[in-house]
Amino acid sequence: MSEAPPDPDAELIAQIGREEPGAVRSLVARKLPRLLALATRMLGDRMEAEDVAQEVFVRIWKQAARWREGEAKFDTWMHRVALNLCYDRLRGRREDPNDELPDMADPAAPPEARLEARAESERVRAALAALPARQREALVLTYYQEMSNLDAAALMGVSVDALESLLARARRNLRTQLAGGSGLGKDKS
Amino acid sequence: MTPERFHQIVEAYGADARRWPPHERAAAQAWARSHRVEADVALAQAAGIDAWLAADKVEPPSLELQRRIVERAPVRWLFARGRWWWSGAAVAGVGLLGGVAGALAMSFFVLTENAPAVHESSYLTSSFGGTSADWSGE
Repeated sequence: MSEAPPDPDAELIAQIGREEPGAVRSLVARKLPRLLALATRMLGDRMEAEDVAQEVFVRIWKQAARWREGEAKFDTWMHRVALNLCYDRLRGRREDPNDELPDMADPAAPPEARLEARAESERVRAALAALPARQREALVLTYYQEMSNLDAAALMGVSVDALESLLARARRNLRTQLAGGSGLGKDKS
Repeated sequence: MTPERFHQIVEAYGADARRWPPHERAAAQAWARSHRVEADVALAQAAGIDAWLAADKVEPPSLELQRRIVERAPVRWLFARGRWWWSGAAVAGVGLLGGVAGALAMSFFVLTENAPAVHESSYLTSSFGGTSADWSGE
């Protein structure tokens, strides 16, 4: 049985536990972009994603002094907290599903290329938002967050086989969407 | 590596081998090389989804969001406000030194009842005024 590799965030978390402000800024720089991307893709709403990101950091600040290396990787714990907060918000929306595309219009007219890139990004975001939440979570963790299949499966509390099944169904749903079909979201499991 | 497993890997993780499970990557790549036609069909289909997913870009966090997050962190008072403490002390110190210098100058004038001579000589010897010496003795 090989020993688990050291947690790359452990020292920084220890410094935050000692209330060193330089460490605070380093952790925000290191984690906030990924955290915000995760929440944005899970929720499809930038403002809500920012709220989630702030709440995650509030919990980090509270937990840092008590953090013990070896119990869980910090990054995995942080993703779990963020996903739980995302699911809380998604459950709150259940009565009022939002099928509209998120409004990402910029008042300043960007150049043509940027407009096209933005439109394409919105289409992908809308397709992701239409996926069943567990499929979306599997795809976001492995594709965008670049987690290993073992870490993503552990985080989701499923086997690697189950993760792969979710990923394959997510991609099939997206392919249907790409082809212009209406099958997206029919596979709800 | 079986054909079924190769297809499962590509359908789950996409066409980019860097995303495949590390312990199966080499075997899957070897299978693709030896079954190029069948592999290429699966890989091309997956690559289309990969490219589509890559089009989604999330704007980086704003400075305002970063500020709000950092402000809520519990940092030690001395560290957090050290920069302000030092800059405040510097301003106060400069003011105090200025006051002391002014008081010394005033006390000197009062004691001597005579303001120091204006530095006219420097004016007279400047390049504009020329020197008072005319070098006539030379």
